[in-house]
Amino acid sequence: MKRISSVIAGISGALLFGAICQSAFAKLNVVATTEDFGSIATAIGGDQVSVTTLAKPTEDPHFVDAKPSFILRLNRADAVVEGGAELEIGWLPALLDQARNPKLAAGAPGHIACSAGVQLLEVPATLDRSKGDIHAAGNPHYLTDPANARIVAQHIADGFSALDPKSAGLFQSNLKKFTSQLDARIAEWDKLLAPFRGQQVVAYHDSWPYFAHHFGLRIELFLEPKPGIPPTPVHLAEVITQMRSEHIHAILLEPYQNSKTAQTVAADTGATVVAVAQFPGGVKGTEAGYVELMDSDVRALAKALSAGTRSAP
Amino acid sequence: MSVAFNIMLWPLIACLLLPGILVYYGLHIVKREIIFVDLALAQVAALGMCLALLLKHEPQDWQTYAWSLGFTFVGAAIFTLTRTEDHRVPQEALIGIVYVVAAAMGILLLSRSAEGDEELKRTLVGDILLVQPGEVFRAFSLYAVVGAIHIAFRKQFLMLSFEPERAAAQGMSVRGWDFLFYILFGFVVTSFVHIGGVLMIFSYLIVPAVCANLLAQTFKLKLLIGWLTATLASIVGLWISYQNDLPTGASIVCALGAALLLVMGAARMGRSGARGSSPAR
Repeated sequence: MKRISSVIAGISGALLFGAICQSAFAKLNVVATTEDFGSIATAIGGDQVSVTTLAKPTEDPHFVDAKPSFILRLNRADAVVEGGAELEIGWLPALLDQARNPKLAAGAPGHIACSAGVQLLEVPATLDRSKGDIHAAGNPHYLTDPANARIVAQHIADGFSALDPKSAGLFQSNLKKFTSQLDARIAEWDKLLAPFRGQQVVAYHDSWPYFAHHFGLRIELFLEPKPGIPPTPVHLAEVITQMRSEHIHAILLEPYQNSKTAQTVAADTGATVVAVAQFPGGVKGTEAGYVELMDSDVRALAKALSAGTRSAP
Repeated sequence: MSVAFNIMLWPLIACLLLPGILVYYGLHIVKREIIFVDLALAQVAALGMCLALLLKHEPQDWQTYAWSLGFTFVGAAIFTLTRTEDHRVPQEALIGIVYVVAAAMGILLLSRSAEGDEELKRTLVGDILLVQPGEVFRAFSLYAVVGAIHIAFRKQFLMLSFEPERAAAQGMSVRGWDFLFYILFGFVVTSFVHIGGVLMIFSYLIVPAVCANLLAQTFKLKLLIGWLTATLASIVGLWISYQNDLPTGASIVCALGAALLLVMGAARMGRSGARGSSPAR
């Protein structure tokens, strides 16, 4: 009896799945590695594309734990959107290997690496493990500069158009909409952070050089002694001394970083811990997309910096 | 179904081929009451890996494997020398100390290196879902060699674990054979840790062996029950992982735990049934 009912359930499940496949036939099935690329892909693809994201927005994009569904989704996808520049080098290649989907092979039109065309910062002259977790291609956290989102959006629109030429018109008009919205917000953000040009901000990990570059901030001091290496007492003491002597008021902290360390340093220096994220949904209220996320990051930092400036003698 | 099969194929092959030798070693280890020796050896192997990374070898380099193995041999030597009759210090205590100190030294070394952190995490949790066919073949051929040595010298190895007094009385070089036992075990542990991680290797070693001890008396029957337990639990674990989209290695470990519960229940029922008809044992 049980067996019969499970067979029936299996068959009806298969039929249902077939029906979903049928109705979704025209849609591009897209898998994004992280939510920032996922949300831009959704904005560009509109209802011609269904996007799912592998990494949770609160997860460190360098280390993502593989689950069977990841392979399944990559196996069935028409396209994968990745950051590239070695952001996902620790987990995506093995997943793609296992998914055996020729559409997503490197160089195939279904493999959209967003870093192409982005001017990467911090490209190392020599590769050396002793310097920490260094990326050969340069720093991969380039979407923290909102101007780079323009390049990424263009890239995704081109990729989608190549895969589904019939919908190219829609993708291009969505691109225009996204870009004009973004440009308006960038002007707003520039104004918000303009009073703090040249100011120093501390970050836990070196994920904000593009943000700093865009807004004219200096984010050169990190709680990690080297990228990927947990904070050590001596290094933290140096950071605290420097923060005091140079009146640094803000520490950027992402959801997957150790908040205790940041809180301790903040308590010692009178600085504020600013909860920021690189991925929509990483901070509460930013689930709607990339623009909302950047807005939250910029406003949170502007608030902390203006409070710090007011309290300073 | 075929999609599930495709995705889980290599993890399944790995879980069917590789635990065979672990179950066999498990029977030895449970009998010798050195349950945590594999954790300690695995941790020592990981320590060797950390040092190799600090010396700027890549995780996949043969030098890294060599360092890892070299450290395992040192661990094996320590365990051989500490299998003494001195009952003031149980060997289990020394095994625990080796584990903890190796883990702490790993942390010290990794504070100077970056990507090693990620590699060490992988050593603990493993990546059975993304296992590569080449890895499975390499590990399996290594296990075949180790297995062949164990079959060739089965008399000595079995006597060593199950009748150590008789082995000594017969003039066998207990230390020498013990060292060989640990060396071969070191090879097995080092290679499986890279595939399945420390949690999985511990479960495959100990759980089937404990189940077998509960249900059977002779070595052959124990081995058979152990293999059966490992195989069934692997399949159930992989299936649960796929159905519920859970981390694969941890699912298998929990399936093995559930298997032990079932076997314990069955053994208890069997024993009380036996007690009804005849005096126990």
